[in-house]
Amino acid sequence: MENALLVGLSRQMVLERQMDVVANNVANMNTTGFKADNAMFEEYLMPVARENRFQPADRVLDMVNDRGTWRNMGAGPIQQTGNPLDVALNGDGYLVVQTPAGERYTRNGSLVINGQGQLVTADGQPVLGDNGPIVFQPTDHSVMITPDGRVTVTEAGATNTESQRGQLRIVRFAAPQQLQKEGNNLYVAPAGVAATPDPNTKLIQGSIEKSNVSGVVEISRLIQISRSYAQVAQLLSNQSDLHKNAISQLANVPT
Amino acid sequence: MRALNTAATGMMAQELNVEVIANNIANMTTTGYKRQRAEFEDMLYEHVRRIGTQTSTQGNILPVGVDIGSGVKTVGTPRIVTQGTLTQTGGKLDLAIQGDGYFKIQLPDGTFAYTRDGSFQMDAQGRIVTAQGNVVQPGITIPANSSALTINSQGQVSVITQGSTNPTTLGQLTITTFLNEPGLLPIGDNLFTETPASGPPTDGLAATAGVGSIQQGNLENSNVEPVTEISNLIQAQRAYEMNSKVITAADQMLQTTSGLYR
Repeated sequence: MENALLVGLSRQMVLERQMDVVANNVANMNTTGFKADNAMFEEYLMPVARENRFQPADRVLDMVNDRGTWRNMGAGPIQQTGNPLDVALNGDGYLVVQTPAGERYTRNGSLVINGQGQLVTADGQPVLGDNGPIVFQPTDHSVMITPDGRVTVTEAGATNTESQRGQLRIVRFAAPQQLQKEGNNLYVAPAGVAATPDPNTKLIQGSIEKSNVSGVVEISRLIQISRSYAQVAQLLSNQSDLHKNAISQLANVPT
Repeated sequence: MRALNTAATGMMAQELNVEVIANNIANMTTTGYKRQRAEFEDMLYEHVRRIGTQTSTQGNILPVGVDIGSGVKTVGTPRIVTQGTLTQTGGKLDLAIQGDGYFKIQLPDGTFAYTRDGSFQMDAQGRIVTAQGNVVQPGITIPANSSALTINSQGQVSVITQGSTNPTTLGQLTITTFLNEPGLLPIGDNLFTETPASGPPTDGLAATAGVGSIQQGNLENSNVEPVTEISNLIQAQRAYEMNSKVITAADQMLQTTSGLYR
């Protein structure tokens, strides 16, 4: 008798969670290198509270459960910024960032130079090249980043010769869905997921990759969620009416 | 309902984005102004079901987990230090730097600030000063009754004094470069001061290695591109609107829930 309430409740729980995912996508519409999340659901068969000895047996109860958040790994639009230290990744690779907690991966190529001359993310974490962080000299100028990640500068005193300051590591993952978002535009690879060098991803200097959140998709999803939520609520209130009627009619104790 | 807070962070971020864009547009014609861009990052994630946890004793693991984010935060407003276009003004003390470097200015308290705004004046003592009256380093005094003030591409200031036909060199302007120009701290009045992020200042001379050259009679325009700013403004406004829709929808869902109880 209470089953409709429980099934409805399970649906409302996942709808709220899906709403949180949509809200996070919309909030990150302008976050560089952000990848949109989608919630995935699965049917959950109630294994208990069931009696099969009667003929016919009770019908199996279906609930809904959220199984995972699936990331849309599609490329975001590339925006030209004209800043020589902005790089967009054209392909499915990641830049490698050194954090106190270990190596992290990012697609946010909005880089800056810190006071020590290191190439760092906007948070100040060094971006790794083949031989550790990339360090510039105070007199370096005209920074160039080639599509394969080589960082070259023109040194003081030289006019046309370029000196290499390192090559940015670009890595890829066989199963990028296994990467976990950590916030700060960083991804962490769980144990057993190895990064391999990616020669196919090219860097585009002077551009950044915008968020791949699509406003239309998120808003239509938003409408769908709030309407489904209202429908389930209607269902629950109908069920509640049934109970009320049953109580008032069946238990009509004459006074 | 977390969605309410998440969307609120989104609205706050877009509000800041609009403030940055507004400041860029307001400074569209400010000499030597460098545009800024708001840079955002996603916030912490709650790992409701963690990727890689075992789902059976046979060692099957979850290929995807449930990660729910909690919104967006602003990480910085980096300054984009590209060269602005030069406008010819014909002013004898209007200087533009073509390339890297800043003019070095002494503030009234004795400390130094740096600027790319080269619209200088002469004060009562004949010193070259900024529009606020701060002395441009190294403090060159132009004698009275001199004519034909010339500042060459290397920053050498020369005049023809009365009674002479040959120009006299009075001094050479200091041009300072920084490793990380976006790390300079803006203090208003088109001035910047050094910070640990900018690296220490390197005093040099114009038109030498790594330092730009000086153009007399020109001023550097701001590098704000109106088209970019307006399209960014549209984006920011729409994103703000969509975040507010999320709040409305979340509110309606809560209202539906509270409507269940009669």
